[in-house]
Amino acid sequence: MERYAVLVRRYRDRYARYAARMLGSLDAGEDAVQDALVRAFDRLADCREPDKFAGWLFLILRNRCYAERRRRQREGRPLDERDDGVAAADRPDGTLEEAERMRALERSLTHLTAEQREVFVLKHVEGLAYDEIAGRTGATVASLKMRMHRAYDRLRDLMKEHL
Amino acid sequence: MSLGYHPLVKRLLDGELSLAELPPELRAEGAEALRLVGAVDRTPVVLSPTLDDRVMAVVRRHAASRTRRTWHWLTAPRDVELRVRVRPAVWAGALAIAAGVALLLARAPGRAPAPAPVARSGARDSVFVRFVLYAPGARHVAVAGTFNQWDRNAAPLMRAGTTGVWTTTLALPVGQHQYAFVVDGERWVADPAAPAIDDGFGRRNSMVAVTMRGAHTL
Repeated sequence: MERYAVLVRRYRDRYARYAARMLGSLDAGEDAVQDALVRAFDRLADCREPDKFAGWLFLILRNRCYAERRRRQREGRPLDERDDGVAAADRPDGTLEEAERMRALERSLTHLTAEQREVFVLKHVEGLAYDEIAGRTGATVASLKMRMHRAYDRLRDLMKEHL
Repeated sequence: MSLGYHPLVKRLLDGELSLAELPPELRAEGAEALRLVGAVDRTPVVLSPTLDDRVMAVVRRHAASRTRRTWHWLTAPRDVELRVRVRPAVWAGALAIAAGVALLLARAPGRAPAPAPVARSGARDSVFVRFVLYAPGARHVAVAGTFNQWDRNAAPLMRAGTTGVWTTTLALPVGQHQYAFVVDGERWVADPAAPAIDDGFGRRNSMVAVTMRGAHTL
């Protein structure tokens, strides 16, 4: 049990930003991380390669984020419904215009499909290359690029007043 | 009408090209696209310091309930059905061998009858004895006897699945014991699998003899 507490301490923050960006709020991201860590414990026997615990935990968290998005869609609750969005407003190192653009982008991301949003977050927020994203998600690089390019077009349309 | 980015601009966003590598007529579009991606908030997300405690509290609850489930799985009586497919010729041979072995054992000098399938308990001079009653319509079954002062609530039997079989295993001290089953708290039933004796008050009790080698009904 105490060994699992060490794992929790080690990995609790690693994918927090991914979860928060996928779900549009810090609270929802934190709930997802907590749930993923509990689920990982419940299925620890399924983790056949303990050295790859981080990647395995990521897949559990990813499923949790997708499930949460589906649940909200069923309930008709958009992701930007909450007022505790993760976009940093009024950052001291940016202009008002940049802060507004940041908020607009965060809102626009909620209009992407889950797959488009995920690839955008992993590439441009987490800074991963396409082949790294493919390794984490199991998708091919070609399909990831296709999703991303559609996301660029959609974001351009949504952000036209802020560019 | 929505207008997508030029494929070369998308390659710029993907990091495969630089702005300078774009044709001059696409550089304005490229600069706009870079402003879009530049608006990404990469601020690290810091989770609540209490997250660890909350996770571990749930994990401990789950671990405890898992232990309870495992213990229940290990201790709850259940029916085990063994199906053996044997050709008649093989079956007859096996019976003959079994009969031969039984004869040899019976002739072995000083050998006592084989004890009942019981295990010795941790308590001194006590042996585990298994009680079984087939009572498909019963809601509650217990066993009462001289070993528990005829307390009808002291030793309830557990229902084994949906077969109508009730069982329990008790650690009984070495010696002879009278007992009977109590069905639904009021009906006293002698063990159909054991000879019964009159208790002197118009009721029939069953008898079990417990030795360190096992238990058998009298």
